Amino acid sequence: MTRTAKGIEVEGTVVDCLRNAAFTVELENGHKVLAHISGKIRRNYIKILPYDRVLVELSPYDLTRGRILFRYRT
Amino acid sequence: MDPTHFISGTGEHALVITRIAERHWHALEDDRVVGRGQASPRPDGRVFLSIDVWHAVVFDRLAEVMLADLPTPLYTVVDEADIDLTSRWERVGFVTRRREWEYVVPTDPAITGLGSVLPSPGLTILPSGAVDEEPLRALDRVIRDEVGATVGWDSMPAELLARPDGSPLLDPSRYIVAAEAGRYIGLVRVAPIPRRSRIGLIAVRTDQRRRGIARALLAHVLGSLHRSGTAMASADVHEANAVAVALFEGVGAWRDSSNLELVLDQEGRRP
Repeated sequence: MTRTAKGIEVEGTVVDCLRNAAFTVELENGHKVLAHISGKIRRNYIKILPYDRVLVELSPYDLTRGRILFRYRT
Repeated sequence: MDPTHFISGTGEHALVITRIAERHWHALEDDRVVGRGQASPRPDGRVFLSIDVWHAVVFDRLAEVMLADLPTPLYTVVDEADIDLTSRWERVGFVTRRREWEYVVPTDPAITGLGSVLPSPGLTILPSGAVDEEPLRALDRVIRDEVGATVGWDSMPAELLARPDGSPLLDPSRYIVAAEAGRYIGLVRVAPIPRRSRIGLIAVRTDQRRRGIARALLAHVLGSLHRSGTAMASADVHEANAVAVALFEGVGAWRDSSNLELVLDQEGRRP
């Protein structure tokens, strides 16, 4: 887990694509968060699929929610 | 221009909106970044916005500042299933301009029915790795001119990439080309994304259409993906592009999601 000027960033794996453009992401510590994609990912038409490794920024207000910032290539 | 705007916040604390760079804005509450806004110009000159926040009220205030700083028209892209985000943009004046379907395309010839599709006599399908850059660039120019003279690139689903000098960015390793008598006449661009490669563009010269060339290109691409173990590909298709819709639905592709392009028009439809 990394705390940067951007917030708390953690890596995880997408385990479910939900119907409201949200995703369930399992973090490295086993916790699951509900995440939406960042505007940058949306603008670049990057698709998120189950099993994708992603970088998630956690909400400072609710650690069960997050935002997918980056999808790793492998 | 004063880059800092003090606005009432989400609770007891003041929300400060700061333009930290030419195209970036931050919303800060107690010196913590609680929202980010970005404006990204595309090579065709259109500016696309994105806003990432944790609270709807922060979205509204970031949008208010960004829209005051930027000339219209402005654009954004949303997943149609994301009702909250779509309604936030609509609340600040954006309206739907067009819809793109994301199709999931099976690669198995037993499903697509493309196993027996062969190029017509004289037509050769050049796989990625066998495509030369110069004739590919020439074909790309022809197709871009044709698209620009008809529906226009801003109505195409594939993002238009370009070098800083304005010429298109072409990576021949991502293209499969249809050639006849040494001349390139059609192309497919494939992005090798793990598990679901993306068909970013499929195009045939206007004077060569209605010969089954796009179908032959698609048969080659999907067959190659199937043999390499990829079960599905994806493709974004403008809902009004009847030819592309028929091409993909004809091989068993189905709609998986949709993106909306929203626009804030010249008249500045703001609250």
